[in-house]
Order: sequence, then C-alpha cells, then structure tokens
Amino acid sequence: MLNIPPPEILLQLSINGALGGAMYGVAAVGLSLIFGTMRLIFLAQGAMIILAAYFVRALFYGLGIDPFLSLLIVVPVGLGVGWLIYQGLFRRAAAEEDRNISLLIAVGLMFLVQNLMTVVWGGNTAAVVTTYTASGIELLGVRTSFTRSMGFLIALAGTGLVVLFLRGTLVGKAVRAASEDMEAATLMGISPHRVNAIAFAIGISLAGAAGVAVATTFPFNPFAGFIFSLKALVALALGGIGNVAGALAGGIILGLIEAYVQYFISGGWTNAIAYGVFLAVLMFKPEGLFSRPYKKA
Amino acid sequence: MANRLLEVSDLDVAYGDVGALWGVSIHVDPGTIVAIVGANGAGKTTLMKAISGLVRPKRGEIRLGGASLVGRAPEEIARMGIAHVPEGRGLFRQMTVLENLELGAFQPKARPRLQQSLEKAYALFPRLRERAHQKAGSLSGGEQQMLAIARATMSDPALLILDEPSLGLSPLVVQQMFALIQTLHGQGVTILLVEQNIHQALKVADHGFVLKTGELAMQGSGAELLADPEIQKAYMGVLE
Repeated sequence: MLNIPPPEILLQLSINGALGGAMYGVAAVGLSLIFGTMRLIFLAQGAMIILAAYFVRALFYGLGIDPFLSLLIVVPVGLGVGWLIYQGLFRRAAAEEDRNISLLIAVGLMFLVQNLMTVVWGGNTAAVVTTYTASGIELLGVRTSFTRSMGFLIALAGTGLVVLFLRGTLVGKAVRAASEDMEAATLMGISPHRVNAIAFAIGISLAGAAGVAVATTFPFNPFAGFIFSLKALVALALGGIGNVAGALAGGIILGLIEAYVQYFISGGWTNAIAYGVFLAVLMFKPEGLFSRPYKKA
Repeated sequence: MANRLLEVSDLDVAYGDVGALWGVSIHVDPGTIVAIVGANGAGKTTLMKAISGLVRPKRGEIRLGGASLVGRAPEEIARMGIAHVPEGRGLFRQMTVLENLELGAFQPKARPRLQQSLEKAYALFPRLRERAHQKAGSLSGGEQQMLAIARATMSDPALLILDEPSLGLSPLVVQQMFALIQTLHGQGVTILLVEQNIHQALKVADHGFVLKTGELAMQGSGAELLADPEIQKAYMGVLE
C-alpha cells in the first residue's frame, strides 16, 4: 500500500514534474514536425539542444548577454541552422525511398556535434549561473524554481507559435498537408524540399529555445543530449506522432510520471518506467493518448 | 498541330511489373473533354502519373502548350497548369474542407484569386460551403470526390486530370459526377478523364483513346468509339 502524501506534496510534485516535462515536450514538438514531413526520427535533436545551451553559455560569459534575452538570437539562428542542415545534409537523402539513410545521417550528425562540443568546450559539466539561478517563485501556492518556470513558459510559447503557424498560415497548412500525404501535396504545387526545410528550420529553432531552458536550469555536458532525444521520443509517442500540441502534452505527462515514480518508488526506477510506458503506448495505443484509434484502411 | 494543349508522343514507361506503357501517343485540344478508357491494368493511371510527373517516363515526350514536362518535378508541373485529381482522391483527410480548398490555390499565381476561386467552387458545390469546417475525412464518398475536383479547380488549371472519379460511388452520384464534368466543360475547363465506366465517359468526351495492356488500341471521337462494334463487344457487353 502506498502512503498517500498530503496534497501540498502532490501539488509540489505535479508542478515540478510538469515544469521539467515541458522541456521534453518542446524537444518532442521539433521531432514531431520533422517526422511529419520527412518520416525521419531526428535523433540529433537532443545534441542540438545541448549545442544551443553551450551557445547560450558562450553568449552569457563571453558577451554578458542574459540567457533569456539570448532567445532573440538563438531562435533566429536556429531557423537558419535548421534550414542549412536540411539543405546540406538531408536534401539528397530525402529524395530516396529508403528512410534509413536519413536516419543514419541524423545519428552521424549527433555523434559529430557531441564530439565537436567536447573538442571546443571539453567534456566536463558546464552550467550557466546567473543572479537568479537559485531564486524561486510562488506558483499555485507552491514554491518553485524561477528558471524552470521560465523554461515552461518558453515551451508553451514555442509550441503555441508553431501551432499558430501550422493552423493559421497557408505555408503552415502546406506543412500539415505534406505531413499527411506528400504525394498529394506535390500535386498542389507544394515542394517537398521546401516543407522539409521549413520543418527543419522550425525544429532546430525549437531546439534553440529548449537550449535556453536547459542552460538556465541544469548543468549539462556534450553527451547529455542523447537522453533528451530519447525522452522526447517517449513524449512524441505519448502525444501521438504527428500531433504537435500532443507532443508538448506528452512531454508534460512524461515529466509527471517521472516525478511521481521518483517520489513513490525511487529515483533509480524513473528511466526504466519511462521507457516501459513508451513501449506500452506503442504496443497498445500507437496513435497516442489523445487520438482516436487509426481507421483500418 | 499548333493548337494542341497537351501532346504525349511515343511514351514508354517502365513502372514495376504492372501498368507499363509502350509507345503511347495522345493529345488534348483546349476546351475539350478527352477520355482515356480501357480495362483495369491497361496503364491509364500510369499515363496520368507520367503526365503529372509522379512517374518518370523511360522514353518519349510530353508537352503542355509546347513546353516539355519530362523530367520535371510534380510540384513544378502543377504550377505549370496541370491539376491532377488522383485515383483515391488524395484529400488531406485530417484537414478541413476549407483548408483543402485553400491548398488547391497554394501555387503563387493562384493565391491572389483565392477568395474568388473559393466563391466559384462553392457556387458549383454548395454542399462544400455547408461543410467548410468539417474534416475532409468525415465527408461521404461522393462529397469527397466533389471536394477533390473542387480543390483541383482552385488553381484555374489549363488541364484538369480526373482519374476514375466515379470509382466507388453509387449510380446516382455517378450521374451527378458526369453532369458536373459537363458543367466544368461548359465553363471552358479542359478535362482529361480516365474511366472504367466506358459508356458514360465516351458519352461526354469529345475524343477518346482506348488503352489495351499498355498500348494505344484505338482512338476517335466519343461518338465513333461508342458506336464501334469492337468496343461494344470488348468493353460494354458486360456493362449494358
């Protein structure tokens, strides 16, 4: 029998879990977009997040730019880098029927970025420490970390902007159309390379935003990104592949699961249970928690 | 002929094992309805896919208003003025009716006219206005086919390709479909129509081409082909 803890502890757990999970969520939104048009699991997303975190750290210690203010730099740079990554690395492979080539390129990019970061910044743990790193704020009557709350807001705003783009603009609708049926989209005059590049640009700029959240919240090292990619994958499965808002929700649910497991069972179990949930969802509800089951075609 | 809108000459397509084409030549004059008829597997869909760039021909030439289409990407061919409603309709089922129609006008030259094109489409298909905010996948089969055709007209194409528009529809809806094709024709739309429903197709067509196992078997005006005893025996005996 579990001991039911007092409600304020439950609330504290829930808030911490949700705040942490939103980071997985924003990483998953990027994966979801890229998977949508390319049918590619972009395993390097976590490495890109850590790269952005190092970039934020360099801006802070090198130029004295506040980490949250650096969003104004990191997000547009992410758009450009994402565009270049597609044009430079994936454009040719995207034309191939075989998705494995793209997947291998993503894995190669992940290792390359990890090792370049090690060369440039060393393999030790790095952190961004500001005057407000240790400050807390009151949220729903619970004391919680200021930077984590900011990270949550960044995730929410980033996902919100992406959803607005996808639903409110013709180009965004073209991205959704291409995610649903690329061949039919080309018959509308939609260029696959264009929508793929857009998905990459937005995906990497989200990695940039997530990098700000990570840099301000956790210590990190060049190899910390892989776990992020895996957690984002779990969030993606929970939210339903191809459902962008669901990906954020999936991340938050994963964060909640981790927080509860850590409290009620033990810290050692969090990852095992997270991946167990991942497999269970893929086996029993592959369309995600928020969708009706696929119609059998 | 100087006045040809579409000219396909001596086309070979090697496309897996099925539906390949050998030396097929067809043409479409502006303002006409041309029907491509033939049995299942005769290569009709392959021919349409070659025209819209979804499959690459091995040999031969495809020209739209004089410009070669061979080797161009489908999105480029769409922008050059060919709207292809594929077999199975190619709707974005998760998206609304309105969103599907908007995407029909995605190409730059169609975008400024989006509102007018939308009004025109709604005038022709009033049901779509009622269902504008429903998901395309929730429509009935007939409504989905109407949406697919309406979406294709949103770009005001030089050539509208309809691949098996009557497939899977009830006889009554098939009648509506052919009436609609004639209405579009009356508005000056040039239509290339692929059908297994040979009798109906030849009745509305100005000109018809009969494909048989990947080769052109016969051609003539719709009325000539309808009256041809061989066609009647080979394709319509079972239908009449």
